[in-house]
Amino acid sequence: MPQYQTWEEFSRAAEKLYLADPMKARVVLKYRHSDGNLCVKVTDDLCLVYKTEQAQDVKKIEKFHSQLMRLMVAKESRNVTMETE
Amino acid sequence: MVLLESEQFLTELTRLFQKCRTLGSVYITLKKYDSRTKPIPKKGTVEGFEPADNKCLLRATDGKKKISTVVSSKEVNKFQMAYSNLLRANMDGLKKRDKKNKTKKTKAAAAAAVAAAAAPAATATTATPAATAAQ
Repeated sequence: MPQYQTWEEFSRAAEKLYLADPMKARVVLKYRHSDGNLCVKVTDDLCLVYKTEQAQDVKKIEKFHSQLMRLMVAKESRNVTMETE
Repeated sequence: MVLLESEQFLTELTRLFQKCRTLGSVYITLKKYDSRTKPIPKKGTVEGFEPADNKCLLRATDGKKKISTVVSSKEVNKFQMAYSNLLRANMDGLKKRDKKNKTKKTKAAAAAAVAAAAAPAATATTATPAATAAQ
C-alpha cells in the first residue's frame, strides 16, 4: 500500500488509477479533528495513500475531490487528464 | 444506510463534522455509480438494466451513523460548490504552514517593502531640484 510524501505524485498516480477502471476505483477521505490530520486513499483493491497534517493541503485535497466527482459525472467516457497544478 | 437528497446530505454531513470535533473520525467515500439496483448474480443472465454513466455515489460516516447520496451531472455544479465550502470550513484543525516557508515569505515581503520605500525617496529628490529650477 504505497504512501506518498508529495501531493504532486499522489494526485498524478490517483488520477491514473481512476482512469484505468472508473467503475472499480473509489476515493476515501478520513478526517480527525482531535488528532488534526487528514488521510486520502484512492483504491481499486490496490491502494494509494496520502496523509497530511498541513492546512495548506486541505484546499488541494478538496479540489481533487471535486475534480474526481466531475470526472465521474461526465457522460462521455474520454481519456482526459485532469488539470494538476 | 440512509439515502438522502443532496441538500439533506450536506446538512447531515455538517452535523457529522461538528459531532466528531472532539473525538473521532469522519470518513467520506466517493465512487462512480451506474444506477444498478440489484446485485450482479454469480451465474445466469444479468437483469436487463441500462448502466447510467453520469452519476456518482457519496457516502459519509462517523463509524456509527451512515449517510449517503447520489449526485448526477445535473446537480453536480450546485452540489460541488456547497460541498467544497463545507469541507474547507470543517477541516480547519490542521497545522498552518511550517516555519521555513514563513521566514521565506517574511524576507520576501521585507525586501519588497524596502524597494517600495526607496523608489518614492528617489522620485522626491529628483522632484525638488525641478521645483527649485522652476522658481
